[in-house]
Amino acid sequence: MAKAKARKLKLEAQDGEGEFTPRIDVEIAGIHFQNPVMTASGTFGYGQEFAHLIDLNRLGAIIVKGISADPLPGNPAPRIYETEAGMLNAIGLQNVGACTFLEEKLPFLRTLKARCIVNVFGYSTEDYVRCIEILNAGEGIDAYELNISCPNTRCGGIVYGSDPKLTEEVVAASKRAARFPLIVKLSPNVTDIGVFARAAEAAGADALSLVNTFVGMAIDIETRRPRISNLTAGLSGPAIKPVALRLVYQATQAVRIPVIGIGGITSAEDALEYLIAGAQAIQVGTANFYSPDTSLRVIDGIRDYCLRHRLHLAQLIGSLKHGVNGAGEH
Amino acid sequence: MYDEMAQVVENRPLAGRHFLLSLYSPKQARAVRPGQFAMIRLPGRSDVILRRPMSIYDVRSRDLKGGYGLERHGQRPAVLQVLYKVVGRGTRLMAELTPGDRLAVLAPLGHGFFPEEYLAQARDASEVLLVAGGIGIAALLMPARDLARQKIPQRLFFGGRSRHDLVGLSDFKPLVEAITLATEDGSRGYRGYVTAPLAQYLEQRCERRFLILACGPMAMLQVTAGLAERYNHPCLVSMENRMGCALGVCLGCSIRVQGEGHAAYERVCTEGPVFWSNHIVWDP
Ligand SMILES: Cc1cc2nc3c(=O)[nH]c(=O)nc-3n(C[C@H](O)[C@H](O)[C@H](O)COP(=O)(O)OP(=O)(O)OC[C@H]3O[C@@H](n4cnc5c(N)ncnc54)[C@H](O)[C@@H]3O)c2cc1C
Ligand SMILES: Cc1cc2nc3c(=O)[nH]c(=O)nc-3n(C[C@H](O)[C@H](O)[C@H](O)COP(=O)(O)O)c2cc1C
Ligand code: FES
Repeated sequence: MAKAKARKLKLEAQDGEGEFTPRIDVEIAGIHFQNPVMTASGTFGYGQEFAHLIDLNRLGAIIVKGISADPLPGNPAPRIYETEAGMLNAIGLQNVGACTFLEEKLPFLRTLKARCIVNVFGYSTEDYVRCIEILNAGEGIDAYELNISCPNTRCGGIVYGSDPKLTEEVVAASKRAARFPLIVKLSPNVTDIGVFARAAEAAGADALSLVNTFVGMAIDIETRRPRISNLTAGLSGPAIKPVALRLVYQATQAVRIPVIGIGGITSAEDALEYLIAGAQAIQVGTANFYSPDTSLRVIDGIRDYCLRHRLHLAQLIGSLKHGVNGAGEH
Repeated sequence: MYDEMAQVVENRPLAGRHFLLSLYSPKQARAVRPGQFAMIRLPGRSDVILRRPMSIYDVRSRDLKGGYGLERHGQRPAVLQVLYKVVGRGTRLMAELTPGDRLAVLAPLGHGFFPEEYLAQARDASEVLLVAGGIGIAALLMPARDLARQKIPQRLFFGGRSRHDLVGLSDFKPLVEAITLATEDGSRGYRGYVTAPLAQYLEQRCERRFLILACGPMAMLQVTAGLAERYNHPCLVSMENRMGCALGVCLGCSIRVQGEGHAAYERVCTEGPVFWSNHIVWDP
C-alpha cells in the first residue's frame, strides 16, 4: 500500500519535472545574473586562477580580490591559521592596485558570461573615491562592492563598518563617484546589523552584501604567541554559517534593497537556507580554497531543489515560514 | 595542475610517526617535476577543511617500481608518493588512510627547482650539496635523482631531532657520493644541528664551488642561506608556509622577499616553493 503510494508520488514528480523548468536567474541593482551564485572577494583571485579547474562561464558573478587605489603589500607571515571547520586570515589586503587591475586582470574577466564585480577598499573616504574614479574607466565592470568591513587593516575599513555615521559618509561619497551600481559589504562585528544596513541604504547603496569575516584569535600555547602575526584575524568558513545566516536574515528585515548572503556556504543546502531567509543571491568564499567546484555544485543543487519543489527562484527568496516543523505547520 | 580523486595504494608506516603514502593518479604523476608539491584533502571530516601541502617525494609505476627500475622497464609513472610526518589534526587523519580510500589531490603545484637554471648551476658546481632538516628530506629525492641521472656528484647533509627522523636514507644512498648525518640528541651522526657539519665542510673547501639545495625548518634554512652567502655559493631553498589554497588566490602563504612595496611579498605556492636563498628576507 505504502509502496504503491510512493511509486505514484514518484511518477507524479517525474511528470512534473518534464514540464517545469525553474528560473534561477536574478536581477539585483538593475543587473541581470544568470544564477544567484557568486564567488566571494579574496577567495577567487581575479578569476583566471580557476579557469583550468572549473567553467567560469557558469557562475553568476565573480567578485575580485579587494582593490585599492594604490597597490598594497599586505601583512607579515603567518597570515592564516585553520580552526575547527573554519580559518582565520589576516592578509592585510595585499593587491595589485586599481591601474594594474584594469590593465592586466579586467580584460580576461570581460570575456566571461559571469558578471564582474570589483571589491573596493580604502583607508579614507578619499581613498575609496579615488579608487572608484580610476576603476570607472573599466569596460566590463558590472558593479562595485564596497568593502567597509575588513577586520585586518588597522586604521582602515573596519572603522567605517562599525560607525553608522562613517558608513553613511563613505557610501554617499562612493555612490556619487561610482559609474556602476554600488553594493555595500557590511561587517558582522557590530551590535545591531539593522542600524548599518539602514545607514548604507539611506546613503544610496543599491544592494548589501554580508557578512565579511568575524574578528577572532588563536594562540599557540607552547610558545604563548598568537598564531597570526596581526594578533587578531578574520574567521570564515562553515563555522560561521549559523551566525552569518542570522545576520543576513536581520538585514533583509531592515531594508528594502536586495541583500546578498555570505558566510560558510559549502553546499546547495547552505545556499538555500540563505535564499529562504531572504537573500537574493549568495557568495561562496573559503570553500573555493579546498573545493574549487563548490559554486558549480551549488548552482546545480539550487536548480534541482527548485525543480523538485516546482518553484522559481523568485518564489523561494524570503519564503521563510514561521513556526517549526512539528509545531503545527510544515 | 589537475584536481583529481586519487586512490590510496599504500600508506606505509615508517619510523618515528612517518608514513609513505602512495596515491594512484597517472595524469598527475606524469606531470611532476622535481621540487613540486601536492595539496591533499582529507575526506569525511568536515572540521578539517583546508587541504594540506605535501612535497612529492617520488613517482612510481602502478606496481610501485621506481627510479631506475621504472626506466629500465620502460614504464611510465602512475603513482605519486608523499613522505609525511604526523604533527597535527590533518596528518593524524592521513595516517588513518588505507588502500582503496579516495581523496582529492591537487597536483603538481609550484614551479619546483627551476628546471633549466638549477641543472645549469649544478653542472658548473664541483658538487651539489643537498641539505635536509627533518621531513624537508621529502622535497629532495626527485632533484637528487635528476642530478644522478646527469652524473652530477652530490652529497647529502641530513639532520633531525633523533635517529627516527632520518627517514628515506636507503632511497638516497644509490644517488649520492656521501651522506653526513646529524641528530640533536646525538642518537645518530653528529650531535647537534646539521648546519654545523655543513659549515665545517664549506670552511675546509673555500676554493670549490658548490650548489646548495635545502629544505627543512625555517631556522635551518636561514643558517644554510647565511653559509651560502658567506662562502659565496648559489643556494636554492624550498620554503614552507601555511597554505590556504595553493592556487595563488588566498595570499595566505606570502613571504617577505627582496623588493619594495607590492613586490615585497611573494607566494610560496605559486612563485615558490623553491627560491634562491638571497631573494628571501630572512629577518623581516
Ligand atoms: C610546500 C610544502 C611542502 C611540504 N611538504 C611536506 C612533506 O613532504 N611532508 C610533511 O610531512 N610535511 C610537509 N609539509 C608540511 C605539512 O604541510 C604540515 O606538516 C601539515 O600541513 C600539518 O598539518 P596538520 O593538520 O597535521 O597540522 P596542524 O594541526 O595544522 O598543525 C600542527 C603543527 O604544524 C604546523 N604547520 C601547519 N601547517 C604547516 C605548513 N604548511 N608548513 C609547516 N608547518 C605547518 C603548525 O603551525 C603546527 O605547529 C609541507 C609544507 C609545504 C608548505
Ligand atoms: C583569505 C581571505 C581573503 C579575503 N579577502 C577579502 C577582500 O579582499 N575583500 C572582502 O570584502 N572580503 C574578503 N574576504 C571575506 C570573504 O569575501 C567572505 O566575506 C568571508 O570569507 C565569509 O565567507 P566564507 O565563510 O564563505 O568564506 C576574504 C576572506 C578570506 C578567507
Ligand atoms: S596558498 Fe593561497 S595563495 Fe598560496
